Amino acid sequence: MTTNRRQHTLEVLVENEPGVLARVAGLFSRRAFNIETLNVGPTEDSSISKMIIGVAVEGHSLEQVIAQLDKLVSVISIKDVTAKAKEVHDTQPDYQN
Amino acid sequence: MAKHVPTANGTEMTGATSLVKSLEAAGVDVMFGLPGGAILPAYDPIFDSTIRHILVRHEQGAGHAATGYAQVTGRAGVCIATSGPGATNLVTPLMDAAMDSVPLVAITGQVPSAAIGTDAFQEADIRGITMPFTKHNYLVTDPAEIPGVIAEAFHIATTGRPGPVLVDVAKDALQKMTTFNWPTSIKLAGYNPKTTPDAQAITDAAALIAQSSKPVFYVGGGVIKANASAELRQLVELLGAPVVTTLMARGAFPDSHPLHMGMPGMHGTVAAVTALQKADLLITLGARFDDRVTGKLSTFAPNAKILHADIDPAEIGKNRHADVAVVGDVRETISALIPALKAALAKSKPDLSTWLRQMNSLKATYPLGYDLPDDGSLSPQHVIERIGKISGTDTIFTSGVGQHQMWASQFISYEHPRTWLNSGGAGTMGYGVPAAMGAKVGAPNATVWAIDGDGCFQMTNQELVTCALNNIPIKVAIINNESLGMVRQWQTLFYEGRYSNTSLESKRVPNFPMLAESMGCVGLSCERPEDLDKTIEKAMSINDQPVVVDFRVHRDAMVWPMVAAGTSNDEIMIARATAPDWDSQEL
Ligand SMILES: Cc1ncc(C[n+]2csc(CCOP(=O)(O)OP(=O)(O)O)c2C)c(N)n1
Ligand SMILES: [Mg+2]
Repeated sequence: MTTNRRQHTLEVLVENEPGVLARVAGLFSRRAFNIETLNVGPTEDSSISKMIIGVAVEGHSLEQVIAQLDKLVSVISIKDVTAKAKEVHDTQPDYQN
Repeated sequence: MAKHVPTANGTEMTGATSLVKSLEAAGVDVMFGLPGGAILPAYDPIFDSTIRHILVRHEQGAGHAATGYAQVTGRAGVCIATSGPGATNLVTPLMDAAMDSVPLVAITGQVPSAAIGTDAFQEADIRGITMPFTKHNYLVTDPAEIPGVIAEAFHIATTGRPGPVLVDVAKDALQKMTTFNWPTSIKLAGYNPKTTPDAQAITDAAALIAQSSKPVFYVGGGVIKANASAELRQLVELLGAPVVTTLMARGAFPDSHPLHMGMPGMHGTVAAVTALQKADLLITLGARFDDRVTGKLSTFAPNAKILHADIDPAEIGKNRHADVAVVGDVRETISALIPALKAALAKSKPDLSTWLRQMNSLKATYPLGYDLPDDGSLSPQHVIERIGKISGTDTIFTSGVGQHQMWASQFISYEHPRTWLNSGGAGTMGYGVPAAMGAKVGAPNATVWAIDGDGCFQMTNQELVTCALNNIPIKVAIINNESLGMVRQWQTLFYEGRYSNTSLESKRVPNFPMLAESMGCVGLSCERPEDLDKTIEKAMSINDQPVVVDFRVHRDAMVWPMVAAGTSNDEIMIARATAPDWDSQEL
C-alpha cells in the first residue's frame, strides 16, 4: 500500500442508466477513496457514458480503487490514462467479479 | 438461469403476472414476504403460483429467513416486501447478506412511477438506500423489462462472489399489460466473474507451498459457498499442514480432523491464533483478512507469506498484501492445486514435522474449556455443548450475536458444511430465529436448532408465529443470562465493571416459555444442571411444533480465549489477565 498522495486519472466506461453517477460517487465516498475531479460525458454509443475521474491515491493502492470500481455491475471498463503511466484495465476478468 | 423456456413466453399479461412467471422461471420454490399497497398487484398472481409464499410477521424476518434458506441450500433466497417501511425493514438483512456473501434476491414494490420523487405515501428510495450493500440493484418502471431484470438478478446474486440483489418495481409497472419474454441468455458488459484460475498462478501457488516449512490453511466462508469441502480435505491431507476455519467457515473442514486447530480470531483457540501468527505461509482460501481474524493488522502473521485464493479480485491486497494471488472459484482453484502441488512436492517435500509437533502441543495444552459456576447454576457453555452432543452432527445450527454465538461456534463440533449459520460480518442480533426458519424450509428433514441469546431473541421472535402456523418446527435454545452478555463482558474487562444498560434485569420477564406458548410453540425451561439432558431430549422428541427452551444460565460466564479489539493476536488471553505460558512452548 502506498502512502504518498498521487494523482491518477481513470477513464471509466459505464452503462448510461439512471443512478450510475450515484453508484460511482457513493463507492468513492464509502471506501474513503479521494475523488479530485469527476466529469461525465456521452460516447458514440448512446447506451454508454464516459467518466473521467481524478483520484488521489492515498492509503489505498490504485489496484484497490480499480478493483472496487470494477465490481460495480454498471462499470464496463476502466483505463488508467494518467500521463506516462498508461496501464489498461479493460473488462479483463482479472478485475471482474 | 433460464432452466427452460417458460410456456408463457409471448403471452400478454400484467407486469405483476410477468414478475411471478419470471420468479417461477428462475426456479424459485419458496419466498418469504409480507404485502402492502405498492406490491399488492404482485400478490394477486402469487395466490395462484406454484411458489410457496411464507407470510412473515416482520420483513426483517423475511430477509434473514431467505438468507438461512440460501445458506443451507446454496440457492438464492427470495424475500418480498412493499414500498417505504416494508422495503426499509429489509435493509438489515441485505447488509447482513452482503457482508456474508449470501445469494439473495429481494423484490420490493415502489410507488407508481409518476409519483416517484414527490414524497408520495410510503415512498422510499430503496435503490439509493441499498446501493452500498447490494451487489447490484434495479428500479423497474417498464413492465417489459421485468423478465430480463429478474433473470439478471438471479444470475448476479448466485455467480461470482454471491451477494444480495434488490429489484424495486414501480406499482404501475406491475399493473400495466406487457408481453412476457423470458430471456434465453444474459449479457452484462460490466459483469464477467472469473471462475477458472490462471494456470501460472496455480503453478506459483504450488511452488510457494512446496517451499514452506510452516504453512497453515486459513479457510474462510468462500469454501462453503463454493462447495469445496471435499477438495479442501484432499488438499490438506496431501500437504499435511494445520487448518484453521473462520467463524464463517465452521464445518468447511471437520472439527474432528487431527489437522484442525480450530477457529482463529478474537475468540479463537490458542492453537489456531498462534498457527497464523507463527506461520511462514498462509494458504488463504475464500477468506478476507477480516479485522476480527487479524487483530491489529500490522502485527498479524508477521513472518508469513500470503497465498490468497478468492473469487473476488477486490479482496486481493485489500487488507494484506498477497505474495501469490489466485483469482477464481475456490473449488476450481483447489482442484487445480492438488495435481500441481503433487508435482511440486515430488521435486522437494518440506519437513513439516517440527511445525506440526508445535501446533499439536498447543492444541493439547490449550483446549477450549470453561469453569462450571460455583453456585451450582447452569453453565451456558455446558448447555450449548450438550445440545450439540445430543442433537448430533447432522443438525443445522443457527445463532444470534453475542456470547452464545461464540460458545456455539466453540463448543459444538461441526463436521459438515452448511450446518453452522450465523451473522459473521454484520453481527446482526436477531438473525437466529428467522434464519433457522429459512434453514428448516430449505432442509425440512434436518433438525434445526437456533442457539439464541435472551437479548437477540427479543428482536425477532415474532417469526415463531410464522413457524407455528406454517409447520416449520424449529427448536430454539435461549441462553438466558438476563444480559446483553457480550457487551457486559466488554464492560467487565474494559469499563471497570460499570454495567451501563446491559442488564436485561430479569430471567422471568418476559416469561419465555409463556411467550413461546402464546405463539403456538411448546415452551420449556431448565435451570438446574441435573435437568439439562432430559430437557434437551424432551425438546428433541417434539417434531410437530416449534419448541423454545429457556435455559436460565449463570450470568457472569465469559468467552475465552480473547484477543481484545485493536490489539495484536500475540496478546491472546486464555482467561482474565492470563496469557498462555509461552515459555513452556517450543515456538
Ligand atoms: C442489532 C444489534 N444491536 C446491537 C448489537 C451489539 N451487541 C453485540 S452482542 C450484544 C448482546 C447480545 O445479547 P444476547 O442476545 O443476550 O446475547 P449474549 O451475549 O448475552 O449471549 C449486543 C447488544 C448488535 N450486534 N446487533
Ligand atoms: Mg444474553
